[in-house]
Amino acid sequence: MSEAVAPALLAAPRAPGLNWRRAVPLLLVAPLLAFMLALYAAPVLAMLSRSLLEPAPTLAHYIELAGDEVFLKVFTNTLSTTVTVTLGTLLLGYPIALGMARARRLLPLILVIVLLPFWTSVLVRSYAWMVLLGRHGLVNEVLLALGLLDRPMRLLNTPLATQIAMVHILLPYMILPIANALRQIDPSLARAAAGLGAGPFGVFRQVTLPLSMPGVMAGVLLVFVLSLGFYITPALVGGPRDMTLSMLIAQRVEQLDWAYAATLSAVLLATALAIIALFQRVFGVGTAFRMSAR
Amino acid sequence: MNRTSLSRRAMLGLLAAPALLPGRGEAQTLPEVTSIPDALKGSGELRIATFGGTMQEVQKRAYFEPFEKLSGIKVRDFAGSDFTKIKAMVETGNVEWDLAQVSRGSVMNLQRRGEYFERIDYDIIDAGIPSVYRFEYGLEMLVWAQVMAYRTDAFRGAVPKGWAEFWDTKKFPGDRSLLGAGSGNNPELEFALMAAGVPPEQVYPMDLDKTFASYSKIKREVVKWWETGAVPTQLLTDREVVMTSVWNGRMAALQAAGVPAAISWNQGLLKRDCWAIPKGARNRAAAMKFIAYSTMAIPQARVAMLIPYGSVNDGSNEYIPESRQEVLPSSPAIKSQLLTYNYDWWVENRDAVVARFNRWLLT
Repeated sequence: MSEAVAPALLAAPRAPGLNWRRAVPLLLVAPLLAFMLALYAAPVLAMLSRSLLEPAPTLAHYIELAGDEVFLKVFTNTLSTTVTVTLGTLLLGYPIALGMARARRLLPLILVIVLLPFWTSVLVRSYAWMVLLGRHGLVNEVLLALGLLDRPMRLLNTPLATQIAMVHILLPYMILPIANALRQIDPSLARAAAGLGAGPFGVFRQVTLPLSMPGVMAGVLLVFVLSLGFYITPALVGGPRDMTLSMLIAQRVEQLDWAYAATLSAVLLATALAIIALFQRVFGVGTAFRMSAR
Repeated sequence: MNRTSLSRRAMLGLLAAPALLPGRGEAQTLPEVTSIPDALKGSGELRIATFGGTMQEVQKRAYFEPFEKLSGIKVRDFAGSDFTKIKAMVETGNVEWDLAQVSRGSVMNLQRRGEYFERIDYDIIDAGIPSVYRFEYGLEMLVWAQVMAYRTDAFRGAVPKGWAEFWDTKKFPGDRSLLGAGSGNNPELEFALMAAGVPPEQVYPMDLDKTFASYSKIKREVVKWWETGAVPTQLLTDREVVMTSVWNGRMAALQAAGVPAAISWNQGLLKRDCWAIPKGARNRAAAMKFIAYSTMAIPQARVAMLIPYGSVNDGSNEYIPESRQEVLPSSPAIKSQLLTYNYDWWVENRDAVVARFNRWLLT
């Protein structure tokens, strides 16, 4: 760094007109911001504008959308899958995150188990579920061997299969933020609560759970938004009527009906943004990121 | 329609190469072209976009390499041919491919919206190619079939023949899968009509009311409307279904792996890939020469010997041994059982069909 700049930086706190403490983070973010605006925001906006501008400025595509039975069906299906998967990852992920936060020696092992599927391609994991959930797959064979079933149950090619596979694929996104939040809780708080007479459940309910909420919210948000756009997994393991919004978009792209594809994409994006805004409003998700930034 | 090709590309890439590519000993029996007319010779280079995978390897051996030697034109091949890319290339005036492997449907679909392809110069094309494979903006160059496949251990030796039997869930009980409308695929309305008793030669133009009435009869048994070629063969392998529609090339790998499954060719669909020259391609003269060369009897026979897809040239059959003919959709005994897929009908009606199919399936 040149000598001319260094004194300016040192002097910054004293110069009220030129707030370097604020300016430096902005400068650090600027390259990324420029990159995102030029290579992400601009193309996305150009694509979305098709929904309003093709063939001429019009709202016709949105009007068509409102009366499109197939869209409404697919949209509700996508949303309900998303909600189920989010709840599923939360219920399965929280205990694991709790274990990770408490574990000392086992932590690396748990981390590897959590992250290993994370590093495997979605396609491979979806095919693995085809093998596991099949009529003659591992799950059915075990249930038959245990005498819990008389004949194989249909698991593959059902909405349930989609949900199971998606929960598996998205689990790390839930576990990691929660575990992070849990690890940042001062252990003396739990001890203090216990010292004041709270039982283990009371400590969890009144201290640990509330303090981990920022992590929970971050995880829920990540999983929710990610599951909105799923394509490969439902296509491979889902039922005959399990169409997701992204499949519908792909279909229109192939039909070269890019205006309607853009309209559907706008709905998908708006849904994700609405969810983020809602979380921000109700739970103040920012706290989750403020915590980890500390 | 393009995604059909993309999916097929994935399929070709996944095919078990050892099962399909003959060993060295057999490779020596591939017929060779020893000389070509001067009209097919030239210089410079030719950039060809293919669907990649095993097919591209086959294409190299079958006609890219011999063509380079015989014509003096250097071939550069690329995987990832895609009609939406051609649309973008032509619209931006930056045409990176001189020749592309695409489907006739894609070519006609773009051609309806503007000028995206060069006309084919039929003066230099081999006379052995029937008119059904020729059209103004492309020449078909690979024949494949979409057919019924079934588990041979499912029906105590009974062999399902034709779609009426596929639809007959009493005689042939069990779950099924069929091609859906996802990933740019066209659902198999032809099969539904033949199941309803329409003779193959009267299938086109298709009656949608009749088609969907027929589909409704089997809706419950279809556990999967597949969209990539890997899925139906996986379902057969895992005994998830007893019968399905498949792309014929996929079955060779399955049978080589010992899965008790077979193709029932009767009433299958004869589909094709074609060569097309993007509008404004720099080396379009070389591309034309290559189209003419690669569709000659011997180069076509070489492909059919290396991968179970057929030839568009009637002259190829004399170069292909009897045993090989049994797996090729272009061999006379099999081709006569197949219905020639009508790309024209589909280009006109696809949007309406997909909309109706979605509505029928989901609401």
